[in-house]
Amino acid sequence: MIPWPLPFRGVFEWMATLPFSKDLEASAYGFPLLLTAHVLSMCLFLGLIFMMDLRLIGIAHRQTPVSVIQQRLFPWQMLGVTVMNISGFVLFYSQPVYYWGKLFFWVKMLIMVMAGANALIFHLTTYRTVASWDSDPNPPLGAKLAGVLSIVLWIGVLSFGRLIAYDWWTFQTF
Amino acid sequence: MLAPFFMWMEGLAVYQSSIYLGPGVNLAHLVAMVTFMGALLLVDLRCLGFGLTEQSVTQLARSAHRWLIGGLAGLVVTGIPAVMAVATQEYENNTFWWKMYILATAILWTFTVRRKVVQSHDPGLGGKAVAIVSILLWMAVAAGGRLIMYL
Repeated sequence: MIPWPLPFRGVFEWMATLPFSKDLEASAYGFPLLLTAHVLSMCLFLGLIFMMDLRLIGIAHRQTPVSVIQQRLFPWQMLGVTVMNISGFVLFYSQPVYYWGKLFFWVKMLIMVMAGANALIFHLTTYRTVASWDSDPNPPLGAKLAGVLSIVLWIGVLSFGRLIAYDWWTFQTF
Repeated sequence: MLAPFFMWMEGLAVYQSSIYLGPGVNLAHLVAMVTFMGALLLVDLRCLGFGLTEQSVTQLARSAHRWLIGGLAGLVVTGIPAVMAVATQEYENNTFWWKMYILATAILWTFTVRRKVVQSHDPGLGGKAVAIVSILLWMAVAAGGRLIMYL
């Protein structure tokens, strides 16, 4: 078996010794219930992100102004992402060394950062001029690009998240 | 009663051609789920007076419709082979049957009661109740799917 080149193993081993980490790992219902919370909050967050992205691409809800979709869905997306982040963090906290040895976990984290950067860049560039194309059923290229990238990147996050459960690219950690 | 049918389905070994088929279908099922749930929740939240309130429920339901139907079609097309691959395990699994019963109820609800509500111009209090039931039913289906392999 190839040794896992990632550093900081000690940090993850130390995390596993913190309060509740071992208890969570040992509990029979903790993991499935947290996974369920993670999936249900994903439905809310990603579902509404997709609806917004499809509007940015110009293929859904074309009669609704982009800024209305953005502002009105934002609180619900934030509710979803909060529950998703908390449940996701607790899942990680219950088995930090296991996740440390999963290449797909790190790929997921990387793509998640990229998805966040995409949203941020869109808001700092194309979205600044939203007033001039708000009600246009066919948004400018920059908006379409941000929408497509967002969908692709979030499908990547979802996919690598799910694939962590398979034993591909798992490194010896125990 | 359905046991021979489930054994026959498993005998077809739908995933035998590649080890990537199972995970691939699984991922497609999740992408379809997110699309479906987005289109569903957008309209249910609107019925409850949240989200895109500038538009009427009818208008919003119309623009969400193809994503709702597309998502559901994707869920069915990917869900069937996923069941077929491990059909005898599913047959023995209580959570699987719970998911199927709730799914049948949710589909009926969406295309009868909820359909009437989103076509009416003022869904009102009854519309709110219908939207809450819709959210709970579909969330239960999603939770059931996640829990089949654990319970």
